[in-house]
This record gives sequence, C-alpha cells and structure tokens, in this order.
Amino acid sequence: MNLDLNLQVIAPALIVALSLLLVLLGEVFLPASQRRWLGYLALIGLLGAAVVAAMLWGANLSGFGKMVVADAFGLFLTLIILLGAALSVLLAFDFVRAHQLDTGEFFALVLSAVVGMIGMVTATDLIVIFLALELLSLPLYVLAAFKRADKRSLEAGLKYFLLGAFASAFFLYGIAFVFGGTGTTNLGRIAAVLGASPRSDVALVGMGLLGVGFAFKVALVPFHWWTPDVYEGAPTVVTAFMSVAVKAAAFGAFFRVFLVALPELAADWRALLAVIAVLTMTLGNVAALLQSNVKRMLAYSSIAHAGYILIALVAMGVNGAGSALFYLLAYTLTNLGAFGAVIALSDGTRERLELNDFAGVAKAQPLVAAALTILLLSLAGFPPFAGFTGKFFIFGAAVESGWAWLAVIGVLNSLISAYFYLRPVVQMYMVEPAGGWNRLRVAPFVAFVLAIAVIGVLALGIVPAPVIALASGGFLK
Amino acid sequence: MSTPLVLTYVGFLIMAAVAICGGLIAVSARNLIRAALGLILSFVGVAGLYFVLEAEFIAVVQILVYVGAISILVLFAVMLTRGLMRRDLSAQNSQWIAALVVALVLFSALLLVATGTNWKVAETKIAGDLIPKLGEQLMTTYLLPFEAVSLLLLAALVGAIVIARE
Repeated sequence: MNLDLNLQVIAPALIVALSLLLVLLGEVFLPASQRRWLGYLALIGLLGAAVVAAMLWGANLSGFGKMVVADAFGLFLTLIILLGAALSVLLAFDFVRAHQLDTGEFFALVLSAVVGMIGMVTATDLIVIFLALELLSLPLYVLAAFKRADKRSLEAGLKYFLLGAFASAFFLYGIAFVFGGTGTTNLGRIAAVLGASPRSDVALVGMGLLGVGFAFKVALVPFHWWTPDVYEGAPTVVTAFMSVAVKAAAFGAFFRVFLVALPELAADWRALLAVIAVLTMTLGNVAALLQSNVKRMLAYSSIAHAGYILIALVAMGVNGAGSALFYLLAYTLTNLGAFGAVIALSDGTRERLELNDFAGVAKAQPLVAAALTILLLSLAGFPPFAGFTGKFFIFGAAVESGWAWLAVIGVLNSLISAYFYLRPVVQMYMVEPAGGWNRLRVAPFVAFVLAIAVIGVLALGIVPAPVIALASGGFLK
Repeated sequence: MSTPLVLTYVGFLIMAAVAICGGLIAVSARNLIRAALGLILSFVGVAGLYFVLEAEFIAVVQILVYVGAISILVLFAVMLTRGLMRRDLSAQNSQWIAALVVALVLFSALLLVATGTNWKVAETKIAGDLIPKLGEQLMTTYLLPFEAVSLLLLAALVGAIVIARE
C-alpha cells in the first residue's frame, strides 16, 4: 500500500474546496435576499486558506507520494492567488448585484478555479498539474460567459473554451511524450532520468508541447490571440480575476516544470523562450498603443507583462524565480487595482471603457483618478512604485545570468508602454469632459480594494527588501 | 514474425484505418449528424487499438464512455438544436491551407521522433487480474488525482447548469 495521506500539504486547497461546497449549499437553502452572505463566506474561505498557507511556511512538506509539495515557492504563489481571489471577490460584491448575475454560482465557480490554481502551483506531478489546469480552466470558461444576456460575454466564453481546450490537448500530448521518454510523470524523477540518459528527442518534443500549453494559458505570442477578445467580452470582475490569478498559477507551474523537470534541456528552451519573450513584450506593447478601449488595452498590457515575467524564467536560478514571484505579486496588486478603478468609475451597469470616457474624471472623482494614476504609473514601471522594483529585479536577474540584451529590450519596451499607460491619465487630468460628470458613489468594497492596491504598490515599491527576501527563499530545489 | 505477432499487426492496421477514416469523416462531413457518426467510428477504432494493445479494460471504458455516452449526447444536442440538423455546414474557412501546412509540419516532426526513438518497453508482464490492481492504485498511489477529478466534475456540473439554464 502506498497511501501517503498528508492532508496538511493540501490544507489551503481543502479549505477553499470546503467553502466552495458551503457556498453551493447556501445557494440552495438561503432565500434570494440573503445570498449576498455567500460572498462573505467565499471571502472567509479564502482568508482561512491564506492563514493556513502562511502557517505551513518553512515546513517544506510533501505528500501523496511527492505529488504535491508545500514549499516556499508554492506557498508564496498560493498566497498571491488567494490575495488576487479575495480582492476579486470584494470587487464582485456589488458587481454581481448590479449586473444581476447568479451570486452563488459565481462565487462557487471562482472558488473552484482557486482550488485548481493552488493545485497548479503546489503540484510536482504532471498528472496533478494537468487536472489542476483543467480545474482552473473550466470554471473560467463559464465565468467569461457569465453575462448570458450579453453576446460579447458569450463569445468570450466560447472562444476561451475552444482555444483553451486546444491548449489542454497540446499539454496532454506533451505529458504523453515526456512520459514516453522518461517513464515517469514526477517532475523530480523526470529530471533524474533525463540527467542520466543521453539527449532524447522525445523529451524535447514533450517539452515543446508542454510549452505550447503553458504559452496559451499565460498568453505568450503567438498563442495570445484569444486574450483581447476574452478580456473585453468577459464581465469586468472576471477579467480582473483572470488577468492576475491565472497568470500566477500558470507561470507557477511553467517555472516548476521547466526548472525542476527539464533543466537538462535548458540550453534548448532558454533560447526559444528568450525569442518568445521579445515577441510577446513587443507585440503586447505595440498593440496596446493602438487600443482605445481600456479593457483591450489592459489585455494587451497583460500580454506584455507575461513577456517580462518570461525573462525571469530565461534567467533561471534563485534570482530568476525570486524576481518572478515578486513581479507576480506586484502585478496582481496593480492590475486588480486598475480594474477596480474601472469598476469604480462605472455607473450602475454602464461601464466607461473608452479612453475619452475618462475625460475630466480627476475633477469629479479626484481620489479614484489619483489611485488609477498611481496604478498605471506602476504598470508602466515608474519609480517608486512596485512595477518599477519588479522590473528592476527581473532585468537585474537577466543581466546577472548573461542575458543583458534581453534586459535591454525589456527596458525599451517599458519606455513604449509609458505612452499608452499615460493616455488615460492625460484624459483624466487635462481634458474637459464632453458631457457633464455626475459624481458617483464608489462602493465601499471597491474603495477598499483600491486602497489596498495603492498601499501595496507603494509599500512594495519603497521597501521591497523583506518581500524579495521571502520570494527568493522560494527557489525551487 | 510469428503468427500471433502478424495477427496483432494486421489488427492494428485495420483499427488504425477505422480510427483515421472516422476522423476524416468527422471533420469533412457537411452534415452534423454524419460528422457525429464519423466521430463514433473513430472512437470505435481507438477502442479497437486498445484491444490490440491488450488493454481490454480501457477499451471497454472507451466504448462505454465515448461511444455510449458522449456520442449519444452529441447526437442529442444536434437533434435538439433547431435548424442545425438539416443545414449543411462547412468545416473549412479561409485559413485551411495555412492550417494544413502547419499540421503537416507538426505531424512529420512527431512522426520522425516517434519512429526514431527506442521506446521503453516494460520488461515484465503484470501477472493476474488487472482491474483490481488498477482500482487499488487509484485509491492509493493516485488518490489525489482521483479525488481532484471529482472536484473537476463538480465544477463542470455547476458550469454546465449556469450556461444551459434559461
């Protein structure tokens, strides 16, 4: 009997799964007027999981025959995912009511996606990683199409589903090849077999197919085509959640598979990923320049940010993985805050998404305008905000590992990006609105999210040392 | 080649041909019902391949789940969707040449690798009845993936209800 039942290792995911079941039961038994409590229930589950994840820090547990681990890398990403999910749930409180979405199902699907995400970043077996990938993807396909009355939301869901299913097939095919070449799906044993045997084409093909699967999920060029349409069509809260949490989860597994299982093939994948990073950054930023819709702009910006994070993977080593974790945390806070500002500026169900909708916001909503300005500056990588320190660490890691030219292209791309991130700022502060702006009441939860995002972005930007120390401690052995 | 090996080889060729023909019908048929029937043929071919590989349990599951359940669901879905049954739909679009080129390149790369590799072969045959062993493995070594699947099915169920409900 090989029963290695170490439930502690999966405790954060178990707590989220438990709250998922409670939310589903609540949806059945609570009267419609009381369903808003389901959001609080989801929030409590996420916070409880975060507390447990923090308690596991440093113990370095593994369980289920080394199929999952609770190492620093996985726990750091788990905490990022839980933070992103909790802030998204806060943004969703008033959003689901205003847009008349099904409350219970909404939160239940968010929670099940979170379970999948935690699974992805803590799994050390390709089978578990694949199941976790599916568990995170399926709810998101549905969440993207959640506004069933809206054709674009349905289109987003369908597109995401078809391309995501395609990507999953590639990923599964890759697993089959890696298994065929090495006889195992455990990441550590794959590395051991590859290290002991001569170079095998089978593993190389497997690596390529796994890479395609990951590239779809984190939206790397040329597998990014779905991103703008899905981000634009999906309900804004879902876009916010998707843009940060999926990136953290998929990059977590991407890093773990490539750094733990395939370091033997590093010479092959580093060059390939470096090229993809350049393409991704450049295309993301240049395409973002051309957008007039803020959600589409943020979609292309998220593609560009995936390119920056990919530089960290090419850099490898302690600095590479550590800087990627730091960057993902900074990106989660910043991007969720930016989407929070977009939600704060929407008037009931009418959202202001075109650039010229932002004209004159600074006069009507000075606080929201200031918050959005800080967040956009952070996304562009201006000091003293988190985006700057994050890029600084990533480019530093690239230079140290001998990929200075990649860092240079990254810096050039940041310069391009400043232009489109500043366009809404110019609109808000310097352009007079065409129509009058009636002052909106910003929902307290949304204001809270904005406050957390701004404080976090400033704190990470000014005193990054403790967090980068924690993130670098999470290097994968 | 010994006689049983030749028989296995012939069986493999027949079943592979069935699977490929079914797949071709599924993607080229203009009528959705015909496409679905082609898909069923392809599933049967794959089940046959499993039989040839002496994985009888997987083969039976393939027939029960894919041929039995999934195909019937597909047929139901097509028949219940108004106007879909009689209309002729083309599965081609303007990019089919580019897609063909990419698919052929990928296929030949995979073919080269697959034929040029010394695949690992299990040295010993597992003795005794396989199915109890499979069940035991699922409840011990693979307990975590097994349980993860149940959560996945729950999420899929909730998602399907959300999408399909009026």
